[in-house]
Amino acid sequence: MNYMELLGALAPEAIVVLTALVALAVDLLVLRQAPQNARQVVAVSITAVGILAAIIALSVAAPSPPWMDGLLINHSTTAFLKQTLLVLALVAGILSIQSRFTQHTGEYVTLLLLSTVGMMLLVSSDNLLLMFVALELTSLPLYVLTAFNKESPSSSEASLKYFLIGSLSAACLLFGISLLYGLSGGITWTQLATTLRAGSEPIVYLALILTLIGFAFKVAAAPFHLWAPDVYQGAPTPVAAFIASGSKIASFYMFARIFMAALPGTAGSAAWSGATPGWVPLVAALAVVSMILGNVAAIAQRSVKRLLAYSAIGHAGYALLAILSNTEQGMGSLLYYVVTYAVTAMGAFAVVNVIERDVQAPNGESLTDFAGLSRRSPLLSLCLLVFVLSLAGIPPLAGFFGKFYIFIATAQSGTSQGLIWLVMLAIGTSAISLYYYLQILKQVYVVESVGQPTPVQLRPAESACIVAMACTVLILGCAPNWLINRFSPNSTEVRRAGVITKPSTTLELAAEIHPRITAPLGTATGLVQKRPQFETTTANAQ
Amino acid sequence: MPTLPDLLFYALAGFTLLFGFLCVANPFSRNPVTSAMFLVLTIISMAGLFVLLQAFFLAAVQVLVYAGAVMVLFLFVIMLLDIKEEERRRLNKAALGIGGVAVLAIAGLLVRALVQATPLASAAGQRAEGSTKPLGRLLFTEYLLPFEILSVLLLVAMVGVILLSKKEMK
Amino acid sequence: MITPTLQHYLVVSGLLFCLGLLGVLARRNLLVVYMSLELMLNAANLALVAFSHFNNQLNGQVMVFFIITVAAAEVAVGLALIVAIYRKRQTAHVEDLSSLKF
Repeated sequence: MNYMELLGALAPEAIVVLTALVALAVDLLVLRQAPQNARQVVAVSITAVGILAAIIALSVAAPSPPWMDGLLINHSTTAFLKQTLLVLALVAGILSIQSRFTQHTGEYVTLLLLSTVGMMLLVSSDNLLLMFVALELTSLPLYVLTAFNKESPSSSEASLKYFLIGSLSAACLLFGISLLYGLSGGITWTQLATTLRAGSEPIVYLALILTLIGFAFKVAAAPFHLWAPDVYQGAPTPVAAFIASGSKIASFYMFARIFMAALPGTAGSAAWSGATPGWVPLVAALAVVSMILGNVAAIAQRSVKRLLAYSAIGHAGYALLAILSNTEQGMGSLLYYVVTYAVTAMGAFAVVNVIERDVQAPNGESLTDFAGLSRRSPLLSLCLLVFVLSLAGIPPLAGFFGKFYIFIATAQSGTSQGLIWLVMLAIGTSAISLYYYLQILKQVYVVESVGQPTPVQLRPAESACIVAMACTVLILGCAPNWLINRFSPNSTEVRRAGVITKPSTTLELAAEIHPRITAPLGTATGLVQKRPQFETTTANAQ
Repeated sequence: MPTLPDLLFYALAGFTLLFGFLCVANPFSRNPVTSAMFLVLTIISMAGLFVLLQAFFLAAVQVLVYAGAVMVLFLFVIMLLDIKEEERRRLNKAALGIGGVAVLAIAGLLVRALVQATPLASAAGQRAEGSTKPLGRLLFTEYLLPFEILSVLLLVAMVGVILLSKKEMK
Repeated sequence: MITPTLQHYLVVSGLLFCLGLLGVLARRNLLVVYMSLELMLNAANLALVAFSHFNNQLNGQVMVFFIITVAAAEVAVGLALIVAIYRKRQTAHVEDLSSLKF
């Protein structure tokens, strides 16, 4: 490989890095004396141009050539995830316009973009080393971005907590990686998958546990979640929104990749009767704790950002279910879930951002600041309604189908429905979560605001973003097939390290019950035959 | 009959662990400067272990970057902040006890797992020699991409540090 | 006394990792906590170099090179954060970081 080949394969990432440098240079060299608002608009415009170029480059990019095996994987799924990440970064940039948390717009945009580059590389990485470096490139700018608000003492405190816990997780992950490397003698997913088997060495489990702890910190799964509420509350809201959405997508994809593609031989089983050691029961334990703790602790929260943080922990629990299903179908459902979750969380944080600017309370917003919002801004309330109901998993919004796909994938993955107990628990905790989501909506639609309701100040770009995200959530809910189909063809690519897929009869059963929803999942695994009556109807039509 | 490298291993491993212990749980001093100095000694002992493992380049980097640059940065910050009153506070005994028990349990499991493991590598045979030339060749061929990413990472650190430590002008 | 094998090195690195973890859990000074984290990273480095030597591959050593660089970048950011906190609160203690509670 040489520089030109590398540049060709990584053109989108290179464009984003270049955009970051241009934005920094323009802001520092040209616009030093310009008014704050102009600097923000210019920086975000440069970002928008760069991100648009990168998205176009991604859509025309070729799949990765063979010389990149063991270094990078590029295919249509990673391209789609990268485009999503770029869009989320752009929204985080737009949300920061007119907010007063910093005067250093150029640095803000630069760090945001470089963190996005880290996420893009994380999505593509095909070996342990690149994964570690990309993970650091993702996290380091986020630590700094969290501390961006120098006026507020909670911002730097949140950042320091994020930093210390992030470093601890990196250290655990590294020790796990070093053991994985030593035991397998290689660093690529293929090498790991072909050498590591369960049951031979106790040290394999040690490596698994440490790697798992590292990732559990990154995705904020309980009991490794302690940083999340503080960071969501203390960080500037656009940054918190990006941490809650973009870094979730990248970390969960990598989490699933490393365990499904690189460590399939050490999976074990979490079935209610007859669990065997491996990473699946460990992930199951994390999922159980996250679902219960996240959803119960959210009830007691008074700050909406903190509430969203605990709800994110609960959502991490559901996403972990998809990982432990350890099938291609699970991977597809995980991606659908995290992408729709990221859009929804970004939208919810965008609304919080508006309210926070409106309130200007020293300690940030609280639940009561949303009182009577429906009178003050019907549009904003309607969007918030969509986001909150989607988070709660109400049909026909995207959040419902996300959960639905995950529950189906999990229920079918175990032999003889051994994982049904997890699905039952997940449904139970979803019911609990309804309570606190309705608390928000009660404030917005039922409780009267104190004093005369004044209309909320909304900027056009911001409201366009919020409405677009609400529409996305609605459309993805009404037509989930479009997105889930995008993730199916490459599921084989994801699992190319050679895994035996478990045959399932329940899948066909589910297809009988609801062909529209399960058909794409079925075709993804190639298990469901084309339905015969479908062919006869087309024949009749002819 | 033990050879010199064998004896050196036991000496250096002992030093590494002893200094590491004194860095995190020095019974005589709770001054951060003492911890930092013992961390330097730990790192230098580790560099000795790297030499025994024929990782000559890394041994040099370990001393230059860690003991040199990183620890100087630590000491600089300790001096800058002029941390004195910290020493008066007591350690939280309960937290220390629980933490100690947990860590001892982990250490026990770890050592047991390691000792029980069947020999992980072939006893004899070729041993990799980490001198500068082969490492450099790898860095600029096989690992070119991560190497370039590191430059972006260092840029992030630079921008971040300037931003965080600069005083805001009103 | 026997010739040190891979296991010997791994035991040293494992114990070093645990010492670092002990420091992170028990110490209250932010700087010392961060030094303990460095100890944990170094434990991983030692394991990687040992594996690299005994598996006769240079991959592990290249990884250590990357880890040292990343750690240096992280240290710079971390210390800048500690300085920023100290300016605001006049403290470098873990217990004093408690303004964010519900």
